[in-house]
Amino acid sequence: MKRPYIVEVKTTEMSQLGRLFVGANSRHGLWTVPLLVALACSLALAFSTNEFVSSQNILNLVAQAAPLILVSIGQMIVILVRGLDLSVGSVVSLTTGILSLNAPVYVAVPGVMLAAVVIGLLNGITVTTFRVHPIIATLSMMGIVQGITMFVRPSAGGSVPSEILFLVSGKLFGIYMPVIWVIAAILVAWKVVHGSRFGLHLFAIGGGETAATFGIAERRNVLAAYVLSSCFAAAAGIFLAGRIVSGDPNIGTQYAVDSITAVALGGTQLAGGVGSLHGTVIGCALLAVIANGMNLLNVSAFIQTIVKGLILLAVISLQPRKTIGL
Amino acid sequence: MTVQPLVQMTSISKTFGGIAALENVDFQLLPGSVHALMGENGAGKSTLMKILAGVIQPDGGMIRKNGQIVRFVSPREALDAGVSTVFQEHSLLPNLSIAENMYLGKEPVTKFGVTDTAWMERKAKEILSELGLKLDPATLVGNLSIAERQFVEIARGISARADVVILDEPTAALNAADVEVLNAQILALTKQQKAVVYISHRMEEIFKICDTITVLKDGRNVDCVPVSAIRPKQLIAMMVGRELSELFPPRSNRTEGEVVLSIEGLRLTPDATPSSIMLRRGEIVALAGLEGQGQRELVRSLVGQYTPHGGKVAVRGREFAFPLSGELGIREMQALGLGFVPEDRKLEGLFLDLSLAHNLTIGLHSRHFELKPASAHREVIANSMKSLSIKASRPSLPVNALSGGNQQKVLLGRYLALGADILIIEEPTRGVDVGAKAEIYKLLRDYANAGGSVVVLSRETLELIGLCDRLYVIHDKHVVTEMPAESATEHAILEAALHS
Repeated sequence: MKRPYIVEVKTTEMSQLGRLFVGANSRHGLWTVPLLVALACSLALAFSTNEFVSSQNILNLVAQAAPLILVSIGQMIVILVRGLDLSVGSVVSLTTGILSLNAPVYVAVPGVMLAAVVIGLLNGITVTTFRVHPIIATLSMMGIVQGITMFVRPSAGGSVPSEILFLVSGKLFGIYMPVIWVIAAILVAWKVVHGSRFGLHLFAIGGGETAATFGIAERRNVLAAYVLSSCFAAAAGIFLAGRIVSGDPNIGTQYAVDSITAVALGGTQLAGGVGSLHGTVIGCALLAVIANGMNLLNVSAFIQTIVKGLILLAVISLQPRKTIGL
Repeated sequence: MTVQPLVQMTSISKTFGGIAALENVDFQLLPGSVHALMGENGAGKSTLMKILAGVIQPDGGMIRKNGQIVRFVSPREALDAGVSTVFQEHSLLPNLSIAENMYLGKEPVTKFGVTDTAWMERKAKEILSELGLKLDPATLVGNLSIAERQFVEIARGISARADVVILDEPTAALNAADVEVLNAQILALTKQQKAVVYISHRMEEIFKICDTITVLKDGRNVDCVPVSAIRPKQLIAMMVGRELSELFPPRSNRTEGEVVLSIEGLRLTPDATPSSIMLRRGEIVALAGLEGQGQRELVRSLVGQYTPHGGKVAVRGREFAFPLSGELGIREMQALGLGFVPEDRKLEGLFLDLSLAHNLTIGLHSRHFELKPASAHREVIANSMKSLSIKASRPSLPVNALSGGNQQKVLLGRYLALGADILIIEEPTRGVDVGAKAEIYKLLRDYANAGGSVVVLSRETLELIGLCDRLYVIHDKHVVTEMPAESATEHAILEAALHS
């Protein structure tokens, strides 16, 4: 194959596509495309099935998407600083495991959050201090945490405190709890990612090796990103434990891949420095709509897994690499 | 009454791995001056400036800023103390806006704890317009040109209220118009009684905008003189300890050899005028002209790295039609004894992490079947290192630990080891210090005298005139004229290019 000889230095300019869909001066990534796709899918499902627009189905959809949104927000924060967190799934499982030990809620919940913080710190320290590649560091952590989960809860079962049950299936001011979870997570994450100096520093660290010369404490910020990721995963675990009213050592397995898919689908670049919260939420919503639609259309669960894999592959290869940061 | 210097560096010393990079160097910067820091590569200019900028710490010596003894342990501290640096490697973050890059690390927040983008953009706009720039501060730096990024770095220095601005090779990537903008900015800085340190290899710039010159050689002070008191020739003599004319080896008076390479009717684009070029045994031929007129495309066509529209090339009797195919082109040409030395030796030429020995012999290895046991080629390596006088402690040293000049020699050595008798070289002395330049010129001349043929293209016209036998002037994607190098002048080449 002939390669044209590139005379000029490669600039990091945006592709035409990028400009069209995000505007020239955004580091939020290509999030408008998944939004359009999600709307199109929803519209198609609304016409092709009777159940899609029912209030029961929509509540289902939100409840299905909520834990993924929580995990994905944490995943995105780590990806912004050029990292990756594969241990989120095991953290979700471990959390349901600990909660199902029948401890009182005021012990159990601080307990799982403490565990999450410790796991996040260990991930962060391995990556920053020992300079282990994030994939290896968090892959090892995934195995370790999964093993601990198996000790805590070898097979699905146990029961969780009733307060947690209420946190998931109850209503507050007439609003269903899953909706409140999602809104709360978005508000917290917006403040962290787009509304604070910390957030700007995350983007700066993702933007290049030179962030440190601006006086940004790279190590501390990356550490914080991994801790946040674990904590969001633990929150997802609390939510799921409330839904299944028990512990399950394998419930989190899918979340590592799913969250990465959702984050990438939302336009966040895996090379770091480019991405957005709204993109991530849209990515999760799109995945949830696709899963929900396939359920409604009676598509086999096996095929659903294949479709998810294809989506991840397609999203990563179609991401406009010429956009800034990569 | 004497003016208090803005910066006074006294007997600065710095050692890297047992080798002294700086020895008792003094440097003084007066307000309102543009101070050139000159010296060969490796003379210690960058080390000295990195110390001033807080990137590295000195082993000994003292820095006074406005009379106060200071010690910068990070670039941030230096910037806060008023020393701003625009380094060659750009340090701005491409995914942040101009304003965010200027205030990163000390962004103001609103009363809700949200970063105050509006404030940053307003302030950034003021500073940019102070420098005569009409850039929107909300623009992402990734969308800026290289020149604009450099201007933003200067603006960043000003936003930090810096009164010392260090410019390290600021014009390396700029075109003439941008250089004018930069010069205007430098003037504006000096009017505000700020001081500028200017590091550049381009003599004319130094003499145009600087007022004082400090010359370093081998990590020591040579002299500090006002620009008005020195001529370019003297300055070069100070830097290298010899005159410019001594840089180039004498041309040999040989009879004309047979034609080894001839290009006929090469058209780089469909509407370009066809060009013909030929190269004889034992001669060095240059492709001269203004930058970006198709010289690079022309030589890259020869190795299948550019797709021209049409034409043909004959290498010692064997004819090929353009365009040549990519990988195949290079291999075919190598088999015919043609070596291509690309301009960017770090990206395109060398395997940076491999040892210099491997880099030298990789061409020999690539000739053999992949599964053939590799011979060590110890003799080839030893001979190459000796004949090219590559300065390295051992052949197993990774090539990225070598200086630019030695790297270039390794790259040349690879094709010499292959027995190439035609060399096509882009920018033979890019990023190479004056001493190594002379060595490379001599090497190429010796090679030609021994029967090799060379095509050179370079941005430095003086280099082409001094080194080569014949020049082809290229303009608008075709050969405009041909002239003997002996009688060529920079002026004549420019004239030929522009009045074709």
